[in-house]
Amino acid sequence: MEILDIIKLIIAGIICWINFVLIDTYFGLPEKPGVLGAKTIGEKIKEIGGNLNGGYFMGNIVCSPDASAGTLLASIMNYLMGVEGGLITALLVWIGNRLCADPGYAGTTGALTITLIIYLLHPIIEAKYFVGGMILAIFSIQGFEHKYASILLGKIAKKMNRGE
Amino acid sequence: MDIIEGVIGFIALLMVFRIFLTRSRARKLLYLCCLSFCISALIALYVKSPMGGIVAIIYFICSTLTSNAIAYTIEQVKDIE
Repeated sequence: MEILDIIKLIIAGIICWINFVLIDTYFGLPEKPGVLGAKTIGEKIKEIGGNLNGGYFMGNIVCSPDASAGTLLASIMNYLMGVEGGLITALLVWIGNRLCADPGYAGTTGALTITLIIYLLHPIIEAKYFVGGMILAIFSIQGFEHKYASILLGKIAKKMNRGE
Repeated sequence: MDIIEGVIGFIALLMVFRIFLTRSRARKLLYLCCLSFCISALIALYVKSPMGGIVAIIYFICSTLTSNAIAYTIEQVKDIE
């Protein structure tokens, strides 16, 4: 039973990782720092030998609630309230984006897509596993090894024609 | 304890140690962001009610606002120096 739990957690983590990295990259997070603080973080990542575009991506995640936050908060509300919770999250994340002077497309899109994914997959993987999976996904980017994470994000950005 | 809560709690503790061990102020913010993700998830998993979810959302959005302000200040201080 334990092993089944761990497998579900890892699969949910991979789905969350793909969801938020693709949406954030599509909405141009690696292209430019949205706020001044993201620029500082991007330059610091470049100083330690990482990629500048990947650094901007990580700085933008820190400085405003983007698709990563949308994914986590929508899975939480799906776990607690069902599909309506995901829609409420999209509204609240949009308000948070506006407070941080961001257009807010990435956060709301991330919240809505993960709501759809959880709705489709809920007979197999419950929403609870997506909460844990999102923590694993954000840990792999922000908490594990900044240099290699930024290089990987830079490569994905280049492949999707965002950033040079 | 559930396995999900265990994993999240372990990652949160690991982040606390890394925040203390890192010298650079800008990189501390990246670890702090991961820590706020963990705390937000733990709030929701322990307080199993819709109100707990709202608290987790408000906590997370306020923590990004704070990180935004700190990162902005670091940039300004660099200019002054």
